[in-house]
Amino acid sequence: MSGFLVGKASEIPEGDKKIVVADGRSIGVYNIGGQFYAIRNTCPHQGAALCTGITAAFITSSGTGSFEYERDGEIVRCPWHQWEFDIKTGCMVIDPKMRTKSYEVTVERYDVSIEDQDVYIHL
Amino acid sequence: MEVTEVKIAEPKIKMKRSIIDVDIHNYTPLDEIKRYLPRAYRDQIDLWGWRLPGSLYLNGGVKVGQMTDSTPPGGGFPGSDLQFMREQLLDRYQIDYGVLTGSDYSCQASPDLDYAAAVSSAINEYTLEHWLAKESRLKGSVFIPKQDPLQSAKEIHRVGSHPDMVQVIVSSGAEKPYGHRYYHPIYEACVEHNLPFTIHVLMEGVGINGPNTGAGYVSYYPEYRASRPMVMAAHLASFIYEGVFEKFPTLKVVLQEAGVFWIAPYLWKMDEDWKALRFQTPWVKKKPSEYFRSNVRVSSQPLEPTPNPETFNQMMNSVYANETLMFCSDYPHWDFDSPLRAFPKLEDSLWEKIFYQNAADLYSLPARGAGKEGAR
Repeated sequence: MSGFLVGKASEIPEGDKKIVVADGRSIGVYNIGGQFYAIRNTCPHQGAALCTGITAAFITSSGTGSFEYERDGEIVRCPWHQWEFDIKTGCMVIDPKMRTKSYEVTVERYDVSIEDQDVYIHL
Repeated sequence: MEVTEVKIAEPKIKMKRSIIDVDIHNYTPLDEIKRYLPRAYRDQIDLWGWRLPGSLYLNGGVKVGQMTDSTPPGGGFPGSDLQFMREQLLDRYQIDYGVLTGSDYSCQASPDLDYAAAVSSAINEYTLEHWLAKESRLKGSVFIPKQDPLQSAKEIHRVGSHPDMVQVIVSSGAEKPYGHRYYHPIYEACVEHNLPFTIHVLMEGVGINGPNTGAGYVSYYPEYRASRPMVMAAHLASFIYEGVFEKFPTLKVVLQEAGVFWIAPYLWKMDEDWKALRFQTPWVKKKPSEYFRSNVRVSSQPLEPTPNPETFNQMMNSVYANETLMFCSDYPHWDFDSPLRAFPKLEDSLWEKIFYQNAADLYSLPARGAGKEGAR
């Protein structure tokens, strides 16, 4: 198994993240419900450090004035313009009616594997 | 030197095809309206006058905003003489259908809600009897006391199903932006009767309505005209962010006489902000420009000329003119747009959409040449 060692899995508890530099690229590694995901720490919009943004839910609505929370902890909001990205897919999320639909904008994502409690990302 | 008057013959107009004109101002004089009011209001008017707020600004042309040549031969007020309107506008420019938008919106700035409702009803009765019953080419707008949404809905239920009433009309001047839920009873009634809700510039900064800019009152008439897009823009954003088109997906809103091309950068801005701030108003499910395309229509006059044809075409595309734009002349107002000269030469299919089809679709009017009475 070749890959870049991020660290011990225990370093990144559920709901948390770790930002590492691998091969000159800054990458955010997230633990969502015990599964690890990695995305580039660069917003495709204007280059902000995406993974330093708030980890959030996808807020949807059934009508004016109502707020419903979905996919809690699966969304990162860019620190600058608050564009929302799905950490699992790297897609910019826009339309709650079409879960799989991505916007034209995506952020690079990487495969993650766990070996002997160590987290590796594959570039 | 003796001067003899020479009668100049009207030049013959050659239209490509017949058209629809969605903004024609028939004169609705108060002394005619008065007959339709309940006795108590007639008595009050006799004693204390009309107490309706008027414009704060100058206008163009003559007789407060009219084309100099629009005074009927009999000497009445411009837009008051049906026969002259036929000759000068409907026949001359081959107008198959024209939408009347009245001449007096002052009741929509009145603090007296019941009086505003009575005047609105009177305008509607007058228009039905003196205009729509006499000329099948003309269609009417339902005036409502928009400052009282429940009474407005009642008036829409009262006359909205009349086959010659094709829309509901309000002044752009308002107490609150029109997307606000306060107004939703009006939209419920509009949807029920399949009537578009048309916002026509006027009455901004007058009576109970908010000032004509967020910075305060403007001083001069051209400055007031420059402020109109700002007020209209506030209404447009309000409809989108208040979720009106999610709640009433079939509602159509028409923006009238605030100009056209300012809408393009405004949509760009709203779309960009929506990407960033979507989660603050998650009931706004689509890009603002998508709601604009599906639910908003714009009438053309006064159309802004652009510095060059390339820019014109880009702006037309940017406001989705093919889907959203409808020609109107604003007859007999001084800034009349000629059906022949207001637009540069358009590609035929686009011309057809703007000068006929978009309006026919919106107002459920027959296709060209269908259902014509013989008397033309």
